[in-house]
Amino acid sequence: MNEACQRYAEDPESNSAHLQQCAHCRAIYGVLDASIESTPLQVMELPLAPWEGAAYRSWPLVIGGTLAVLAIAFALCAAAGISVPMAIRAGTQFDWRAALSAADRALRPLGPIGLGVLFIVVNTALVLLLRRAPRGIDA
Amino acid sequence: MRKGLLLSLTLAATVVTALVAAPPFGTSFTFSQAATMMTRTAVIVSLLFVWIIAAIAVTLASGREIRYASIELRTSPLHCFALGLVAVTSFVLTGIVFSYLIPYFVGLPLLIALGLFAVLTKIFGTIAVFHAVGTIVAGLRTRDQLSRRRWLRGDLAMVVIGVLLLGAIRLIPVVGTIAWFVVSVFGVGAALATKFGRREPWFLAWRAAEA
Repeated sequence: MNEACQRYAEDPESNSAHLQQCAHCRAIYGVLDASIESTPLQVMELPLAPWEGAAYRSWPLVIGGTLAVLAIAFALCAAAGISVPMAIRAGTQFDWRAALSAADRALRPLGPIGLGVLFIVVNTALVLLLRRAPRGIDA
Repeated sequence: MRKGLLLSLTLAATVVTALVAAPPFGTSFTFSQAATMMTRTAVIVSLLFVWIIAAIAVTLASGREIRYASIELRTSPLHCFALGLVAVTSFVLTGIVFSYLIPYFVGLPLLIALGLFAVLTKIFGTIAVFHAVGTIVAGLRTRDQLSRRRWLRGDLAMVVIGVLLLGAIRLIPVVGTIAWFVVSVFGVGAALATKFGRREPWFLAWRAAEA
C-alpha cells in the first residue's frame, strides 16, 4: 500500500480522486461497498443437528420400558425360584483373581522379557491411538 | 423399516430363547437343565434392569457427553473398535504387571485403581453404545419428524431403545454373549477416544512459541 492508498484509507471523502487512478483500491473498496444479497434462511431445510431435540425427556417411554423389564425380571426370577437381588448379585460376581491368573498363565511362555516387550508395544499403540483427535461432529 | 428391524430382532430373540429354554421337539431336557436355563435368563434380565437404571442415571447427569461419544462411535467405528481392543489388552497386561507388584504393597492399590477405571470406562462406553444403537434404529432424521414425534426423541429415549434392543440380543445363547463382548469393546473405544465424551485431548501437544 503506497502513500496515496494510505491517504485514501484515512480520508476517503477528500481523496476520492484516488479511486479513479488505483485499480487495486477500486477492486477492494468495490467489494466492500457492494450490496449484500440476502435470501431468507429456510430453517426447515437445514440439516438436523445431533443436539436438536436431544434434551427432550420422554418419561412415558423410559418409565414404561423400565417397568416392563422389571416385571419380566420378577416373573423369570419367580419361575427360577430366586430373588431379583440374588440374580443381580450372581450376575455381577466376577472372579478377577482367577481371570488374572489365567491371563498370567497364558502369557508365561513369553517370559519376563517377552511380557515386558508386549507391555511396551501394546501401551505404545494405545498412546498413539489416543493421540488421534475425535472426529465426531466435526466430520 | 428401522422399526420393523427392531421388532423382528426382538421377536427373534424371544423365539430363540423360548425354543432353547423349552424345545418342542425331539431332545429331552432334564429338569436341572431347564432350571439352569431359566435361572440364566432370569439373571440376564435382572442385569438388564440394572443397566437401564444406570443408563438413565448417567444420561440424565451427562447427556451431552454420552451423545458426543455416541456420535464418535457412529462416525469412526473402526477407530473405536481398534482402540477398544488395544485398551482391553492393555488393561489385562497392566493388571498382570501390577499383580507382580502386590508383594511390594503398591500393587494392590494400583490394581484397584485400574479395576475401577476399567469398570467406569466400560459402563460409560456401553451406555454410549446403547445411545448409538438407539439412534441408528429409531433416531430423528428430519425436522418434520422432530415436530411430529412425541415419545421417540431425546437422548433418554435413544438410550432406552438401545438397552431394550441389545438386551433382547443378549438373550440369544452364544450370539448374545459375543455381541455384548463386541459392544464392550466398541464402548471402551468410544469412551477413551472422546475422553468420556468431553472431546479433550489426553495428551497436551507441546509447541515452541513463535515470535
